[in-house]
Parts: sequence; structure tokens; C-alpha cells
Amino acid sequence: MDKLLKNKVAIFIFVAPALILFTVVLFIPILTSFYYALCDYSKVTRSYTFNGIENFKWLAKDPTIRIAFKNSMFFLVFSCVSQLIMGILLAGLLTNIKKGRNFFKNVIYMPCVLSSAALGLLWAFLFHAKIGINNVLSTFGIKGPGWLYETSGFITLPMWVIAFVALWQYVGQSMMLYMAQISGISNSLYEASYIDGATKVKAFRYITLPLLKPMIGTAMSLNAIGSLKFFDLIYSMLGDKTENLKMDVLATYLYRTGFSSKGGNHYGRASAIGLVLVVLCLLATAIINRIFKTESYEM
Amino acid sequence: MAKKRWLSVLLSAAMVAGSLAMAVPAQAEEGEVQEITWMFWDDLEASEDNITKGFKEVIDRFNADYEGVYHVTPITTQLEEYYTQLNALVDADQTPDVFIVSPGPNLTDYVAPGVAAPLDEYLEADGWKDTFAGDAVFAQQTYDGKIYAVPLNTAAACVFYNKEIFEEAGVEVPKTYDELLDVCQKIKDAGYTPITISAGTAWCLSMLAGYLCDREGVDLAACNSGEESWVNEKTIAAGEKLKELSQYFQETAAGDSNDDATAALYFEEAAILIQGSWAIGQMNGANPDFEEKCGVFQFPAIEGGNDPNRIIAKSDSLAMSSSTQYPEACVALMKYFTDDTAQKYTAEVGGKIPVTNVEYDASVAPAQLADVMEIFENASATFGFYNESLVSSDAGSYFDNQMVAIYQGEKTPEEAFQAVEDWYAENGYR
Repeated sequence: MDKLLKNKVAIFIFVAPALILFTVVLFIPILTSFYYALCDYSKVTRSYTFNGIENFKWLAKDPTIRIAFKNSMFFLVFSCVSQLIMGILLAGLLTNIKKGRNFFKNVIYMPCVLSSAALGLLWAFLFHAKIGINNVLSTFGIKGPGWLYETSGFITLPMWVIAFVALWQYVGQSMMLYMAQISGISNSLYEASYIDGATKVKAFRYITLPLLKPMIGTAMSLNAIGSLKFFDLIYSMLGDKTENLKMDVLATYLYRTGFSSKGGNHYGRASAIGLVLVVLCLLATAIINRIFKTESYEM
Repeated sequence: MAKKRWLSVLLSAAMVAGSLAMAVPAQAEEGEVQEITWMFWDDLEASEDNITKGFKEVIDRFNADYEGVYHVTPITTQLEEYYTQLNALVDADQTPDVFIVSPGPNLTDYVAPGVAAPLDEYLEADGWKDTFAGDAVFAQQTYDGKIYAVPLNTAAACVFYNKEIFEEAGVEVPKTYDELLDVCQKIKDAGYTPITISAGTAWCLSMLAGYLCDREGVDLAACNSGEESWVNEKTIAAGEKLKELSQYFQETAAGDSNDDATAALYFEEAAILIQGSWAIGQMNGANPDFEEKCGVFQFPAIEGGNDPNRIIAKSDSLAMSSSTQYPEACVALMKYFTDDTAQKYTAEVGGKIPVTNVEYDASVAPAQLADVMEIFENASATFGFYNESLVSSDAGSYFDNQMVAIYQGEKTPEEAFQAVEDWYAENGYR
């Protein structure tokens, strides 16, 4: 193995497939999207002309981007807070139970590995105006709300519904990360604290939580980036109704602007939205990393 | 060791080559089957729509008759996703050889950049064009004197209603807008939903708005060209009537899709559906028992407004890719869609108006088609969907969304039409 690792040609050949793939499908498109953001680029005609910062000027006065930004920020905050609380809670509970730990771990984690499109359709049926939950409610004489089409309020009902579904789907991932971190904490720390008279709650507060801090930063960064890129559940649950229901987020608005015939197939504008998304992802990650910056501890 | 090293190098090289491999379309050699694709906005296998079933029969018949010569593979999508996926294929240089398209700005999107090919030489070649019911059927498919798409059928937007609910509520077919309001109120009092409509699928609501605008006498050409502002008393009155009518919509209209709204009529939950006659195939396919209960009437007049005999008409059309390798196969396929067998099916089973001179048996055609034909024959003029008659498909989408905003109460008619005017001011008039 050591010999192989000294052979630069072999290393290059082994790295080449991933490097080429990464460059062709990720790196080059990201760089070209920087250029497209400065162009008037129509998809079908494939003609593009450089127009400077016109796409960004358009973005600045576009009312839909403000709605999309507000919705993305809502999902960001909701996802970070709810997954932090639920993830740590579930991880704490499952670490401390002896029977059925693997069963519950698998049940909670399972939605993570299922297709978001299929889950979205499933939940869309459950929250349909006439079937699913509303149908059950109507048998008790209760008129269910318009789960997926109520447009009143600053944060509309469909947003809460989809945020809940996203929490259900992804909380398993946070839970697993926190469980991995908790399982790495040495028992001797807890034993020492119990000898000093600490209760379980105090041990959790003063030992578990501080030692979880690096993982909170990692999990929160993943949640933040995931919720800013949030697309699949919204699209599979609402289809092309996102604009009229004021349910656009940055990713769905990017898709509509660039790819949907209803958005006009403006690649340039979509690329500009993509850049906003990239900047927001970088900002969110930087802020979270700053907040949760920790020293390394020996656990 | 050397062997292992060479093996690893070989495997790695294979991976690199694999990652770089591009899908190169196979070129058919002489004597081989000419493979073409056809793109359509419904699922040929799963759909209950009779028109879709008819299209499947055409495809099967074509493939059977031309076995060993031509073969067509359908590419199907959901209606809402159709143009998005078509555009993706166009952009990837994989334009389907033949694709269905709506006349108007949608077709323009493919004609202007040269994606769709002119079809005149094929239409003129062997008398194919003479089989159509006159040159007028090509009016919406003609650009600078050249025909870029072949119409398959014509549909008229009408008002479908449940005769039994009307009878139970003791109401007659309304002739005017005021009578329509009265009818809706009585149906509501009888415990039924008066109007089922989809605002979730914005063009459905927009179609109603288009009718109201036209009945009010809105000069669409003048608004499109900027000679007249979109904010005028006629558009405002149409917007106000849209809001007024919305009190009679089903409660779930905001979230219902077009299919949901149509189902509410043929499952007899609602009394009235304002929809194109293409819905006949869908309604009769999904609930054959509803056919005899379903009546059709013309969209009512607005007193003091425009000519009430104008109707919204629309055709499905087929365009051919200008980059197709096999134009003969494409034309052969298009001829199958417009031959007597397909056109008879269009009328007798699908309930749509044929575009050729084919004679069909009206007695076996859906009951609703006779009513639609009567409305069509008595029409003084036809006009297109508003969203397909504006300066571009972008403008059409924007108009649709503004009509939904009026319905949802987010904008007043003044604000909504001002937004349309602002859009034109920024993006250009015709």
C-alpha cells in the first residue's frame, strides 16, 4: 500500500474518475453559472447576451424573490431549531433505553433514506382537501382546514405543514449524528459527576451538551444548507402551484425561473438566484461555525 | 506485483473512459427501422381520457402498419410539466421528432428559434391538406405564410352543467350573467356547489376571466399593442365579476387541480363547470353514467357588453422538429392522427370537433358533442385563451397569476390589471 501511495501516476489514475466527474458536473457548471448570471440567456433559443448586473437589478425589485427569501428563512430557522431540539431529545432518549433501541433508531431514521418525491406525494394525499386527514375529520363532523392551499397569514399553513413533514423526514439524520457523539463520551465523566452529586439532568446539562457542541455545529450546518436548498418535498407536495400559493422558496423559484415554461426559461435570472443561494449557504455556514466554534476535548 | 499494478491501471483507465462516455445516438442504416419519438401531455397507459386512449390507438396502429419501416416511441408527461420537459429536451438537442403543442405563444416559442419545421411541402405534396376542413383550420398555426403545425381537433370552451341538479334546484339555463348569478344562488340554496373550477391550475380560472373580459368588450389587441391600458373600466368590471362569481366556487378551488375540479362535476358534487370541450372525453371516460345527465350551454352574455356569440376555441396541434432525421416517418405519423379513422374517433368517442372533412356518426358520438357543435356553428367568431393570446407565454402566465390573485382577494381588480399593465410596460407590447 505504501508503495502504491508513493506512485503519483497511480494516485492520479485512481483520483481521475472522481476528479473528472466533479469537474464536469459540478465545478464547470458552477463557474459557468457565474457567467450566465450576467447574461440574458434564454433556454430554448440558446442565445445569450452579456447584460451586466441586469439580472440582479431584476431580482432586487422582484416581489416573488422576497416571498421566496422569507419562506427559505422560515425553513432555515424552523429546521435548525426543531431538528436541534428533537434530534438531541431523541438521541438522549434512545441512548438511555436498553430495549428496542435499534428498532426505534431504524424507524426514526427510515424516512431519511426514502425518496422525497414519493414521501411528498404520500403526504400530499394525507393533506388533500377532500381525502386523507380531512376525510377522517369530516366523519367526526369537523371541517378540516386547507392544509396545502390556505394562503392567509405571514407564515401560511402549507409552510407549517411542509416544515413538519421535513422535520419528520430528516430528524433521524440529526438524531444519528447526536447519538454518535453521545456514544463517544466516556462513561468516566458521568461517573465522576455522579460521585460529585450531579443528577442525570445536571450531567446532561454540564457534560453531554457541552460535548455535543461540535456536533451541533455540524448538524446545524447540514440542516441550514439542506433547508436553503429545500426543493423536493415542496415540489412534490405542491407541484406548480407554489407561486399562486405564495409557497416559493429560493430553490423552487430558481427552478421555475430557469426551467419551467411558466417562468419563462430565463437561465440568466435563474443563475442569479443560484448565486444568491450559494452566498446564503456560505453565510449560514460561516455564522453557525462561528457560534459553535469549540476547542477539541478529550472525551 | 507488476501484474496487480497493471490491472489497477487498466481498471482505472476503464473507469475514466466510462465516466467520459457519451451517449451517441445511433444512426439508422439504410433498410433499418426509422425510429422517431412523439411527445404528448398525458399518460397513454394510465389515462381514462378518451382522447388520450384514441392517441394510443393511433400510435399502436402506426407501429403495427409500419412494422419494420418506421417505429414511434411516445414520451409522455403530466400536462402541467409538459412544456418544461419539452424545453429541457430541446435544450439538450434531443427535441422529440413530433410533439404536441398549443397554438399561440407556445407554438411561437418553437417556431421563432427554428425548433419547429415548416410543413407546407408535406401538406401540399399528395393532397393531404385537402382532407382538412378548409384553410381556416391552419390560421393559428401559420407564421409568415408558412404552416408549422397540423391541428388534430378543435375544442370550444363552454359551460357544462348537471341537468338533474338544475332540475332539482328549479333553474333554467342562464342566458345572461345576471341570470347565471341567480341560478348559482338557487343551486347553493338547494345544497349543491354551484360552480367547480380550479384556481390551483391557474389557466382554468384565467379561462373564465378571459370570457368575462371578452363579454365586457375588452379590446385585447389594443391592450396587447399598448394603444389601450390594461387598467380600464371593462377589465375592472370583468375582474369584479370574477370576484363576484367566486362566492359560488367550491371551497377547495384554490388548491384543486383541473382534474379535481372536473371530477367534482362528473361525480355530481357540483352543478357547473366552465371548461373546454376536451373535458368531454375525460368526463365520459371516468364516469360514463354522467353523459346523459350532462348538458352544455354557451357562456352567458353581459347586458350592454360585447357580442355574446363569441366563443373560446382551441386546437391540439402537432409540430415536427426541424432537426429530425426522419421527416418522412414524422409526416407519416402525423397523417395517422388526421386520417379518417382517427378523426372519426375524435368525434364519436372523444367528443371533440374533427379538423378534417370526415363524416362521423353523430348518433354514436357523446351526447355533449351535439350541444358543442350547435354552439360552435352558431358562433359569430372564435378567440383564443387569453393567456395564449398575449404578447408571450410569460405574459400569459403573469395574467393567469393576477386572475388568481383577484380570486384569492390578494389584489383588487385595479391592482391586478395595473400589475399586468406594468408587466407590459417593462417587457414590451406587441
